[in-house]
Amino acid sequence: MWPGSDARSDTVLDDAVPLRVLVVDDHPIWRDGTARYLAEAGFTVAGTAGSGAQALRIAAAVRPDVVLLDLNLPDLPGAEVIRGLLAAVPPTRVLMLSASGERQDVLDAVTAGAVGYMLKSARIDEIVAAVRAAAAGQPVFTPGLAGLVLGEYRRLASGGTPAAGQDSAAGRARESGPPVPRLTDRETEILRLIAKGLTYPQIATRLALSTRTVQNHVRNTLTKLQLHNKAELVRYALENGVD
Amino acid sequence: MAVQLWRVVNVYRVITLAYAAALIIRDDGDYAHPGAGLVVLAVMTGWSAVTIVAYRRPAGRRPWLIAADIGVAMTLVISTRWIDSAVRIDGGWPTLPVAWAAAPVLACAVAGGRRWGLAGGLAVSAADVIERGTFLTTSTFNGIVLVLIAGGVGGWVVQLGLRAESRVERVARREAALAERERLARDIHDSVLQVLALVSSRGQALGGEAAEIGRLAGEQEAALRALLAAGTAELRATGADGQLDLRALVAPFGGVQVTVSCPATAVLLPENKAEALAGAAAAALDNVRRHAGPDARAWVLVEDEGTRVQVSVRDDGSGFAARRLAEAEADGRLGVPHSIVGRLRAVGGTASVTSSPGQGTEVELRVARI
Repeated sequence: MWPGSDARSDTVLDDAVPLRVLVVDDHPIWRDGTARYLAEAGFTVAGTAGSGAQALRIAAAVRPDVVLLDLNLPDLPGAEVIRGLLAAVPPTRVLMLSASGERQDVLDAVTAGAVGYMLKSARIDEIVAAVRAAAAGQPVFTPGLAGLVLGEYRRLASGGTPAAGQDSAAGRARESGPPVPRLTDRETEILRLIAKGLTYPQIATRLALSTRTVQNHVRNTLTKLQLHNKAELVRYALENGVD
Repeated sequence: MAVQLWRVVNVYRVITLAYAAALIIRDDGDYAHPGAGLVVLAVMTGWSAVTIVAYRRPAGRRPWLIAADIGVAMTLVISTRWIDSAVRIDGGWPTLPVAWAAAPVLACAVAGGRRWGLAGGLAVSAADVIERGTFLTTSTFNGIVLVLIAGGVGGWVVQLGLRAESRVERVARREAALAERERLARDIHDSVLQVLALVSSRGQALGGEAAEIGRLAGEQEAALRALLAAGTAELRATGADGQLDLRALVAPFGGVQVTVSCPATAVLLPENKAEALAGAAAAALDNVRRHAGPDARAWVLVEDEGTRVQVSVRDDGSGFAARRLAEAEADGRLGVPHSIVGRLRAVGGTASVTSSPGQGTEVELRVARI
């Protein structure tokens, strides 16, 4: 799903300079095990952190290429850690992991700016490939995440929660807010195929596209959500008198 | 609650003070001792200020102060006998403090409930009787009844209010405790999932006997994750007018070989439609297990399109030619027509099956909302 070698070609990464990864997880067994595997796979583990606050401090100092972030940290919500990381080190890519499966907090995290999400039950070689793909800015999706993203676009299109869809107040709020992002037919088609378990190359074959094009479409679906989320946050800040 | 009640007592005192002041200033010339009424008014004003300030804070609501409050009211009521003219007193004119004398009774009721309210009312009533020399006049009798009602009923209402408030507080505390327990459970589940995932991935990396242990851990991890997903979805399963959240019905299908993807928000459907979709999806997964080969994986996708809800079931098994599906359907060999299409047709839904050899099988199940 994350073709390693050609994935790195669209960045300026040099094979001689190993990718610098920050591993953030509050479970020491997992954190240290993952760090060791990543080191064995040729990455430089730039640091490890056991909490969101620690992660923000270390990231600002070591400026990692990729942050491998556990979604459920004891001190801060995942989405907040991601916003902090991207504010401190804008070029860094955040790849999220969680053990408990795709839920609202995973969606919050990708709209906050993560490039992708993986389940912790993934094999270590899958995680290694995903870190490489994330470093190259490629979206890392699980079928579950695709289902969440599809659902989120439909929720936004219906003007908030499904129950509030017919509410005129919700409609007015929509008019005054930033425009609601929409998926193109192609993007919808691709997300649905990911949710049905197809890999990027399989989707490329089925739709007669290049793998790169498929990845670009998928990345666009996240970028639109992230921009919308940012605009919503700005609007919220303005409406509530926050400078 | 208690704070608002004491505020009521204070507001009552101010309003009745103003009323008493108006009457005293108007009638002062008619009293047996003109000018004395103004002294009474000064005492009432000063005492009102003292109690209003004191009753604002819990520390100020001392029993002795409330007793003194009653004492002041009694004294002022009785003083009417000396200040006012006998004609007016016997003619049933009100006492100098008028309704102000009931303010301490309300204070008793708020502080101690029904019994204390009644006791305070009796004390002020006694003063009333002493002032008149009899309680057989209509106005005295009315006054006594009103003061007793104020004390008794007021105290009763206060008790009911406080009891309701403590019940609300208890419920809120229990809810907070439940939320905390859920949070702890989530943390524990997360830790267990982490360890199982770790054992699974490391075991499979090591190979040999460790791989077998890893595989077992992976199975348990997937089973626990599906269970938790079903559990959390179930909490929100029933929406308005008895609709079901389809996600709660479909989540338990997840496992090592089956991945379930859903929106983050509830997919509410009438019970029969939700159950038809979930039942058809279960039948499709059954087909995967029986026909697609032992290693086939399957993916279930739930989509809410507003006017309709769609569930897709795809597997990466051996698949079959469309022609064979039609043949099988004609022979009644495959379960597709009966168990899948039949269920959906009953609720006005549709099903389509696409497959080609080596590409797996895709079943799409659709039900309209309306």
